[in-house]
Amino acid sequence: MIRQCNTTAAPPADRDADRQDLGIQSLRSDQVFASMPQYLVERDASRCIRCLVCVRQCPYEATFYDAQTNEVTNRHQNCVMCRRCEAMCPTNCIQIRQFGSGFRANEHWKEKHIRGIYKQADTGGVLLTGSGNDQYYNTYFDRMVIDASQVTNPSIDPLREPMELRTFIGRKPERYDPAKGGNGQAKEYPNIACDLPIIFAPMSFGSISYNLQHGLAIAAGKLGTYFNTGEGGLHPNFHQYSKRAIVQVASGRFGVSAEYLRSAAAAEIKIGQGAKPGIGGHLPGEKVTAEISRTRMIPEGSDAISPAPQHDIYSIEDLRLLIYAIKEATEYTIPVSVKIAAVHNVAAIASGIVRAGADIVVVDGFRGGTGAAPAIIRDHVGIPVEVALAAVDQRLRDEGIRHCASIIGAGGFRSSADIVKAIALGADAVYIGTAVLLSVGCTLCQQCHRGKCSWGITTNRADLLPRLPADVAAERVMNLLHAWSHEIKEMLGLMGLNSLESLRGNRLKLRAVGMTDEEARILGIKHAGEA
Amino acid sequence: MKVVYAITERCINCHLCEVACTTEHSRTKNPVSAYHVEGQRFNWRESAPYPDPAEARDAGRPAPKSRCRVLQDGYRVISTMCRHCEVPSCVLACKNGSLYKDATGRVCVDEEKCVGCWMCIMACPYGVITRNVDRQNVPQVENNGINHHCDLCPDRNEPACVRVCPTRALVYEER
Repeated sequence: MIRQCNTTAAPPADRDADRQDLGIQSLRSDQVFASMPQYLVERDASRCIRCLVCVRQCPYEATFYDAQTNEVTNRHQNCVMCRRCEAMCPTNCIQIRQFGSGFRANEHWKEKHIRGIYKQADTGGVLLTGSGNDQYYNTYFDRMVIDASQVTNPSIDPLREPMELRTFIGRKPERYDPAKGGNGQAKEYPNIACDLPIIFAPMSFGSISYNLQHGLAIAAGKLGTYFNTGEGGLHPNFHQYSKRAIVQVASGRFGVSAEYLRSAAAAEIKIGQGAKPGIGGHLPGEKVTAEISRTRMIPEGSDAISPAPQHDIYSIEDLRLLIYAIKEATEYTIPVSVKIAAVHNVAAIASGIVRAGADIVVVDGFRGGTGAAPAIIRDHVGIPVEVALAAVDQRLRDEGIRHCASIIGAGGFRSSADIVKAIALGADAVYIGTAVLLSVGCTLCQQCHRGKCSWGITTNRADLLPRLPADVAAERVMNLLHAWSHEIKEMLGLMGLNSLESLRGNRLKLRAVGMTDEEARILGIKHAGEA
Repeated sequence: MKVVYAITERCINCHLCEVACTTEHSRTKNPVSAYHVEGQRFNWRESAPYPDPAEARDAGRPAPKSRCRVLQDGYRVISTMCRHCEVPSCVLACKNGSLYKDATGRVCVDEEKCVGCWMCIMACPYGVITRNVDRQNVPQVENNGINHHCDLCPDRNEPACVRVCPTRALVYEER
């Protein structure tokens, strides 16, 4: 006889619990959404060995074992297509697909809209989601191609010749002063040295798991790059990695103290986030565990809500006060960064930020991810990071203040080619977040806000946490960045460059394919075929 | 000597170690066959006759059984299997010498000799010895079954449970 299913998951406590116990899933007036499953979990019965691995792995209570019929079956409406069961099944007998019927084809009323309305009519709430903007908008990365050296200029083989990826981030002196010697600039303005132009995006402990942040801290140290604490503060156990941490000061000021700022490699003032420009952060109360409450200095189980604006910053002058308050607190030893979401007026805002004294400007595009945001905002607010980077870089250059700050691009970099293109458009370095999560198992099911990530990435629930151990996370992230840095070196080599510095803002290395004149003009690149 | 150690903080309660162990100790080394075809488990295919456990046993085709077991207490989960102790109480308790420590330090059972008195089960401080009722050397005794415990997968360099653990919660090392 097969062992009874013995999951750690609590029985479903939501309001359709009674109904689930009853096992009848038909339409009920207040549950239209739930009665129309989106995904179908198919199990090849001839291969299912009733090991119940899938039952134990599903935190959404979509899979259960029926002892009477000796069958593993599903509540399809609970499935979010995280594919954890598929990945763990020892006999590969599970397949998840779209629930067959769908909706009647309609180019205007897409399934997303219909489901959204059903869900809101059921609940009366704002629809929350996680991850990044998944709507159809032009991705300019896909319409830019990279140049290569041919007969008239030699390409470089990165396996035989040195290739420099090291990037210094922070304010640079206006001109080289031989009297101060080679290291003059480091003394004059604090810079952080990054061995590759890729930094881990701000993801707070709370939005991601303790283990993943630990893994990122380890990986950052080994790779010579930095991780960002996000707005959640730095857990006491991670103080040993603080020299690899960019610490964030966000509107909620969670976990901010003088010591927090002083211990870090750089401080970052978060004004906006690409996934939700203009609104504050929201860590749902169910995700605030004891450890998070300790790190953020808020009561356990309470929603961690950051206000939409920083209430002490209503102008560039106010921003300057905060930047210099941080610089004073840290005795001018670390660079101060300001992170803004890419919005329509981003170039002018960035110019103001640089004039306010920021050493780094982070521009977060609308593809940037989030742990929890209203879907409507994530999908419709902000502009692409490609155009934002080009506009900011051009504006700062035109005004002669490009050297006063480094530009970091963020939001939706999917491959090393995207990063190379971003750097050619004017970024000094990039933040990668979603790519990091993907490297540790994320399947972009967009359930980050629910705090029960089946891959153990965006959860701190005790039974889900071990699914992603810190060393496994660090190893996988390091593998990814290792591969990407090789690819970046290859791409630099084929362009005939031996240093990333030579690519920065070098838009002649890019050509547009299938863009309008207007788009190419804003990006500052020529169309393919133009010399 | 090298033994399998479990790291409880890493265990995710998936029980894949049990699946791997069962599969490794099957004849086909294929999980589907190990669970469905070999021995008695269950077989819903109408074309195939439902094998009776006793028949399978008599035919010398007993179902493979897992030698490790995942135990759970709240959020604490751990996979348990034979520790192959330095001074094994089970060997000391064995009345006819069917349990012994071999040259490499493994605790082994002589399957021909074991009479299924279960003194080893009584003596084991870890509770990791079970009885294999498919192998009855003294059939006159009801439910007689011989000693059944981790054999460290003699056919493999690394035990199957260690190989399959998705979070590296099982390690095979010397301590």
